[in-house]
Amino acid sequence: MTALLDASGITKAFAGVRAINEVSVMVDRGERVGLIGPNGAGKTTLFNCILGVIRPDAGRVVLDGNDISSLAVHERARLGIGRTFQRIELFLETTVRDHLLVAERVRQGHGSVWRDLLGRGRPSRDELAATDRMLELLGLVTLADEPIEQLSLGQGRLVEVARALMTRPSLLLLDEPSSGLDGSETTDLAATLRAVQSESGFAMLLVEHDVELVSTFTDRCYVLDFGKLIAAGPTAATLADPHVRAAYFGTTPEAS
Amino acid sequence: MLIAAAVLDDVLRGVLQGVPPGSVYAIIAVGFVLAYKTSGVFNLAFGAQAFVSAALFFHARTAWGWPSWLAFVVSVVVVAPAIGVALERLVFRHLPTDAALAKLVITIGLSVALPSLFELIVGFEPVAGRTPEGLLPGGAEVFYDVAGIYSFSRNELTSMVIAVVAVAGLGALFRFSPLGLQMRATVESPRLTELAGVRSDGVAAFAWALSSLFAGLAGVLIAPRFNTLAAPDFFNLVVVAVTAAALGRLVDLPRALVGGVSLGITISLVQTFLPRVAEHAAWLTPIQENVTSAIPFLALFALVLGSRTLRSGRDHVDPLSGVSPPPPPPAAMSRSPLLTRATLIAGVVFFAVVGLVVFTSADAQWMFLVTQTVILSIVFLSVTVITGFAGQISLCQGAFAAIGGFTVFQLADRFDVNVMAAVFVGAAIAAAVAGLLAVPLVRLGRVWVAIATLAFAAFFDAVVVKLPFVGGGATSLLQGTRVPRPAIGPVDLGDDRHLLAVALVVLGITALAVRRLRDGTTGRMLAAVRASELAGQSIGISATRSGVTAFAISGFVAGLGGGLLSIQQQNVNYATNFSPYAALFWVVVVVSLGVRTVEGASHAAAGFALTDPLLFSGVLLAWMLRSPDSVPDVFPLSPKWRFVMFGLGTIAFAKHPEGLVENGKRTAHRRVEQLLARRRSAPGGAPPSGSNTALARPHPPSAAAEASP
Repeated sequence: MTALLDASGITKAFAGVRAINEVSVMVDRGERVGLIGPNGAGKTTLFNCILGVIRPDAGRVVLDGNDISSLAVHERARLGIGRTFQRIELFLETTVRDHLLVAERVRQGHGSVWRDLLGRGRPSRDELAATDRMLELLGLVTLADEPIEQLSLGQGRLVEVARALMTRPSLLLLDEPSSGLDGSETTDLAATLRAVQSESGFAMLLVEHDVELVSTFTDRCYVLDFGKLIAAGPTAATLADPHVRAAYFGTTPEAS
Repeated sequence: MLIAAAVLDDVLRGVLQGVPPGSVYAIIAVGFVLAYKTSGVFNLAFGAQAFVSAALFFHARTAWGWPSWLAFVVSVVVVAPAIGVALERLVFRHLPTDAALAKLVITIGLSVALPSLFELIVGFEPVAGRTPEGLLPGGAEVFYDVAGIYSFSRNELTSMVIAVVAVAGLGALFRFSPLGLQMRATVESPRLTELAGVRSDGVAAFAWALSSLFAGLAGVLIAPRFNTLAAPDFFNLVVVAVTAAALGRLVDLPRALVGGVSLGITISLVQTFLPRVAEHAAWLTPIQENVTSAIPFLALFALVLGSRTLRSGRDHVDPLSGVSPPPPPPAAMSRSPLLTRATLIAGVVFFAVVGLVVFTSADAQWMFLVTQTVILSIVFLSVTVITGFAGQISLCQGAFAAIGGFTVFQLADRFDVNVMAAVFVGAAIAAAVAGLLAVPLVRLGRVWVAIATLAFAAFFDAVVVKLPFVGGGATSLLQGTRVPRPAIGPVDLGDDRHLLAVALVVLGITALAVRRLRDGTTGRMLAAVRASELAGQSIGISATRSGVTAFAISGFVAGLGGGLLSIQQQNVNYATNFSPYAALFWVVVVVSLGVRTVEGASHAAAGFALTDPLLFSGVLLAWMLRSPDSVPDVFPLSPKWRFVMFGLGTIAFAKHPEGLVENGKRTAHRRVEQLLARRRSAPGGAPPSGSNTALARPHPPSAAAEASP
């Protein structure tokens, strides 16, 4: 069976500097994979190449056996890549439920102007039920009709996750979900994600600084440094690798 | 050989001829870039500032009889920079650094308000056909021959010399004085500069003064090229400036300079050689006749389409922008369903009462005004769709509406088509044009959409309108663009009452459709992309597709209104109704009164059509006082106050993007709810619960506030 995501040989240079060099990453169905590395290692660039925000100079991105290298961001999203943002991106001036409704609509492909004009643009009972289920799953029920501006950062992250999950992704990319959250909020988020995953079975690729979160949350992880993949494998073993420790924690293999 | 020499001669002449206007364009471009670089303000009011200096110079010379040097010193060296400093201190300093859209809207408002304010204060009236004089006496009559190829007039020579001096001075300032260095540093990051012990505020004010000085200089220099000194011509200068500045990607001063000069030369060369080609291709004639407006548009479009860096380029971001306080949450964030219902009922009742009064007892003039308000409400709904829902500033709504008007004129005039059917054909054509125009545009940033639509409006105004199959060509000079008001079945459009009824029905259907779009998938997708394009795409929304859809819908609605307006006035009246400058004011009125709601368009239409005859004429006051004699002498006020009022009203957009009227309604609604809640929580009453808790509770820090890295 092929992997869910197979990004191979991804290379991207900015003004002659190789931000990432021939990096390959694979994610299987239902897996939790971490992607770590020090600042400037190229994590975000790789992430953006997988999502289509940046077009790599070389390399292929294959999702579920289909080459999606030439597709735009929104086309990749429709094929099953969901994401959250490091600096959260919410739809201001709408409510929490609106976030989920619009995602549900897009997933159904009901974008017709004529439908709206005929008065069938209002949320149907099924759609409301679907959003209710998601709100419940993520513990957002009490916030359903709150304007998004009133939410705390932690709640905002949950809304992002809920919005991404409404598109029923097969792969969820999480961009530093712990940034700006304190320890207990991070633990809560991880627990929620795990619980939701056990229901829906999507895979997760997590870009993260918080080594503790990565070590407890992911099965496998990749380590990037200076645009190159320096290690990959089961999380615990990889994090113990002296080269990884050298790159990440600044301790040289000799010293340790 | 001989032919080649003659062509070379023509080329040289074309180049020399292009340098003087080119040097003025360079001044404009440099001044424009200076303001944009130092404050991030894309100053569309630049042309208005140039107009104020030019008009003051002209007025001081002719009406007050000042000597040229004094008029120059006062208008360019004193007043122009003073306006710049005032704008920076009073308006732009107080805006958050990332409020790009608000800044754009405000400068659009200022470009409407400033000229009128000046004209009111000084008592200046543009006089048609009075060509402004140049700095030196006999500027247009004295010529200096250059090697037998081209003779520069004294005005042209002055422009070139002043441009060289101004640019050299700016270069020296940047290179040799600490201020230049501080300014360059402020451009990179105001906050880092402050950390180094420089007051970036002061630097910004200085940059604005300098930029405005350039505006004034350009105004005085370019004025002799116009045969009438009027604000709209100066507004069109902005298109030229932006194009030249765009060549330098908006931030590169030397390249903007080169861009300005080469634009002048290009226009001049095309003016030299295009007539020879146009002899064989008739369709080129309108372009040839209006090259100055056509070239910037074409150049800008080529830039937008051709330059990858421009398309993908994001705005310059201050490395320390994260430390700035987060934008304040909108004063009234969400609209309660109760308020929606209340305004709907109030609106229906109000319309019913006004309709009853108008239908039964209005005279022809009031009938006209009310019908105009209703039709303008339709036109303004197009602004609601594109700016309110999609968050894009389109400055060519006038062109879309004019397409509707001209289609009705052409179809009725040539093919004797039923005018009501023609209105819908016109709307469909406008939708198609808008959609096509949007395809290359919507992938750009919002600032670029505003500029490109402005350029399109200028192009439409200068070229498309002149085409015989659009504006009627030569025949329209004789008989105008007449539109009949025939009887169609039981409806006699010639009867004012019937026309009003038709307009009301169309408005009702359009308003309902726009409401449904807003509440349906289309509106939700637009709201998503408006707030965050990236997040919208991440759930599968195509930003391009929803942008094109919004433009097409907006074009359709504008075309619909434009067609009806031409039926009502029995003439397209392009120059009065739809010229780019007139349509600019539409955006200003709608944005300052309420751009997010459907009824906001009606408020704006009423404000647009009725402020003058109702408020400024003193009619309303007289009615309230019950005696026309006790109305104070200040009435009737000049209709120009309308431009000042709504133009300055856009400044509120930064704080209340939902509009002044809408904000007022929400605030009033909240007050009432708070009052009710207090009464209920009084002894014996039930504690506040449900929807009231959100209002009573102190607001937690917003998600957006904490999201700053």
